[in-house]
Amino acid sequence: MSSRRSRQSSNGASRITDDQIIQLLSKLQQLVPEIRNRRSNKASASKVLQETCNYVRSLHREVDDLSDRLSHLLSTIDAESPEASIIQSLIM
Amino acid sequence: MSPPHQPTSINPNSLKIQLAYRFLHNLNNINTKRSNLDHTQINRKSHRVKVAAYASMAFVTGSRRAWSRSILRKIRNRGVLARIKKRVDHKASRVRVHHHLNARSTKRRNPSCSNPNGDYIDPSGNLGLEVKLRKLVPGAVMMDACGLLDETADYIKCLATQVEVMRTLVDLYSTI
Repeated sequence: MSSRRSRQSSNGASRITDDQIIQLLSKLQQLVPEIRNRRSNKASASKVLQETCNYVRSLHREVDDLSDRLSHLLSTIDAESPEASIIQSLIM
Repeated sequence: MSPPHQPTSINPNSLKIQLAYRFLHNLNNINTKRSNLDHTQINRKSHRVKVAAYASMAFVTGSRRAWSRSILRKIRNRGVLARIKKRVDHKASRVRVHHHLNARSTKRRNPSCSNPNGDYIDPSGNLGLEVKLRKLVPGAVMMDACGLLDETADYIKCLATQVEVMRTLVDLYSTI
């Protein structure tokens, strides 16, 4: 943790402060449901990053699963049925 | 009935509505194309639905974000590649597709792959995690740490809303 300051002075091109990173990390923490419920000062940076990675991966898996189910449903529903056309007209 | 095209701020409701419109539009396009009824095409259709989901996410976000730009670029490249494959005959297509793949891959990949700002957050413990995050979020490979966190937050927000839209659709279609 003490190496942050030395890195900041050596890297003059991008003046990113520690506070900015902490702020962004807390913002990220609010989005990820796993660590949102815990008190913010307890979650470390590595924990936030790890949970974020897991959350993004789980979201990707969920998109895959949902698109699979959706494709099955789309192929099985009868396109000529009146209910389907009603719903389509309501949504579109 | 055209969806509003103003850039969404942080209002989740309007983001959801925009995503829903765009996703349904893409799904309709998939449906009105050739009807794939046999089982070998089911996998392809599910892949197309997935691409439609990511495409609608990227379209609604527009060019504001690096991840949406990267997704749009990938989709456009894929479309161009498919068209090239269709036009040219088999022998010549193999040579030309190879050339195009090489050209496109060198364009996408930054030749100076050294990432000076890559380990900005904390080199001791978090380097592996950060690299993982960069791989997960599209278009975030060459960003600095600050931008990476910002991109991730926006990406997660959009992805979660898209998942919600898809869940609602699945519930809706399963009750017909």
